[in-house]
Amino acid sequence: MKKPYLKLLALSVLVTPYAVAEIQFNGFGSVRATYSESDNGSAPFSYLDEGDITFKGESLFALQARADLGEGLSATVQMFAEGRDDFDIEARWAYVSYQLDDTHQINAGKLANPIFHQSEYEKVGYAHNFSRLPVAVYSGFDFATMEGISLNSQFELADGDYTLDTKLSYGNWEGTVFLAAAGGDVPLGLDNIFSFNATLSGDWWKVFAGAFITEMNATGLDQGVIFPFAQPGIDLATSLGATSSDINELTSSLAWHEKDGLYWFSGFGFDYNNFIVDFEYANYAVDDAADAPNEAWYIAFGYRFGDYVVTIHTEEQTQDIEYDFLDNVQHPVLQATGRGIVDALGAVEFEGSGISLRYDFHPSAAFKLDYFSGENTRADIGDYTIVSAGIDVVF
Amino acid sequence: MKIIKFVLLFSGLIAFTSQAVTVIVHPSNADALDKKVVKKIFLGKSTKFPGGSQAIPIELKDGASRASFLKAVVGKPEAKYKAYWSKRVFTGKGQAPRSVDSEAEIIDLISKNPNLIGYVSDDAVTDSVKAAGKF
Repeated sequence: MKKPYLKLLALSVLVTPYAVAEIQFNGFGSVRATYSESDNGSAPFSYLDEGDITFKGESLFALQARADLGEGLSATVQMFAEGRDDFDIEARWAYVSYQLDDTHQINAGKLANPIFHQSEYEKVGYAHNFSRLPVAVYSGFDFATMEGISLNSQFELADGDYTLDTKLSYGNWEGTVFLAAAGGDVPLGLDNIFSFNATLSGDWWKVFAGAFITEMNATGLDQGVIFPFAQPGIDLATSLGATSSDINELTSSLAWHEKDGLYWFSGFGFDYNNFIVDFEYANYAVDDAADAPNEAWYIAFGYRFGDYVVTIHTEEQTQDIEYDFLDNVQHPVLQATGRGIVDALGAVEFEGSGISLRYDFHPSAAFKLDYFSGENTRADIGDYTIVSAGIDVVF
Repeated sequence: MKIIKFVLLFSGLIAFTSQAVTVIVHPSNADALDKKVVKKIFLGKSTKFPGGSQAIPIELKDGASRASFLKAVVGKPEAKYKAYWSKRVFTGKGQAPRSVDSEAEIIDLISKNPNLIGYVSDDAVTDSVKAAGKF
């Protein structure tokens, strides 16, 4: 999947032989040592080593090249390697952009999927004051990219006193996602992603909101996870006289395939006289399927002392279990089976609070120290603590 | 004597931390540039001068003039300014201003290109560029 994008970018440069492309390189990286422990023995986040220090879990590097082809056309590729994936290099972004005018820019290729407010730059540690963005909201969705097209717009309002940034995207994604209830990665596709984000900002404040809707391409998840979970209940119901129509009613209710996924978020932030406040709320679910709607939020308060920023924050992710989607399932055993599955899928919740110190010791680097603790409802985690120290660079 | 040395050192320190900078453009640039316009150009929110011609910002890599400019015009300390541009660069929304090593280089480049805008310390301004504002 990686090579076609590189070929596309190479082609976009080569087809304009008279354009001498000025190539600009930028990059970012994080090197972080993270120690974690939990009451029940499993790492609080899947990429950490419980009871040990890991230098891989939260370390990463990226190099971005942008070829300016002139007259508003450019090609960008971002090569990205992350410790949690053994530093395997991937082309995270690979797209062509055209600046339509001062306000609008159109992009096409492999792009960021702006799931939440900071998703597009969530890997750029230097861009924020945390050691890691609050995981309740920024849980590292695998579908952080999409193949498609986007329109970035920037409107100046009130004679430039306010800025309205919007992003309209359309695309698809195919890959695997980590599902705690399944104990690992399962195949998933997101078709027809329609996304809209908006941020209104002044000199020291911003308010933002956004949403995306997609059609789940989830036969693999249904066949590999959901239906096998339901099979013992189906077998029991069959022995008690459930008809194939009853069973179809259950499986079609549970299935994710061709159901709509809706993700939305809103929040605000301000940075005034060295006081910094950030809040974001997110909500997401697969409608009418075996998925419990997720609610997540965080609030952070920070203060800047010259080159230092101290931030305290609290975050929470909960799942609101609903059984409405099983209303058409009449057989009591099948109804109980469906409820049992959504209970299992919706059982994972967590909360935590932490304090972070950022020290800008260099014009292009920040040292960060972080303490974070909380509770995860997963039976193998329970109460947990994370301590990390590391450096974020940008160039 | 120690008191005099201390006063001189202290006044020097004040002068250093509050050093004024001059925004410079090509001599042919007739646009009136206030702080708001310059700030928008250096934050990538505007790519044109008020008269409609393309505006390309150019800045110093480091030093007191850069710090003074960021504080007086952009209103962001170094780390915040760099974080702002990190977000734009790594979301494909823009490229940070090109940075150069010296004020002499800024003056030389601007004297040859009517689209450039930059800043230098007050006493570095020469006749080959036009002072568009002191901040």
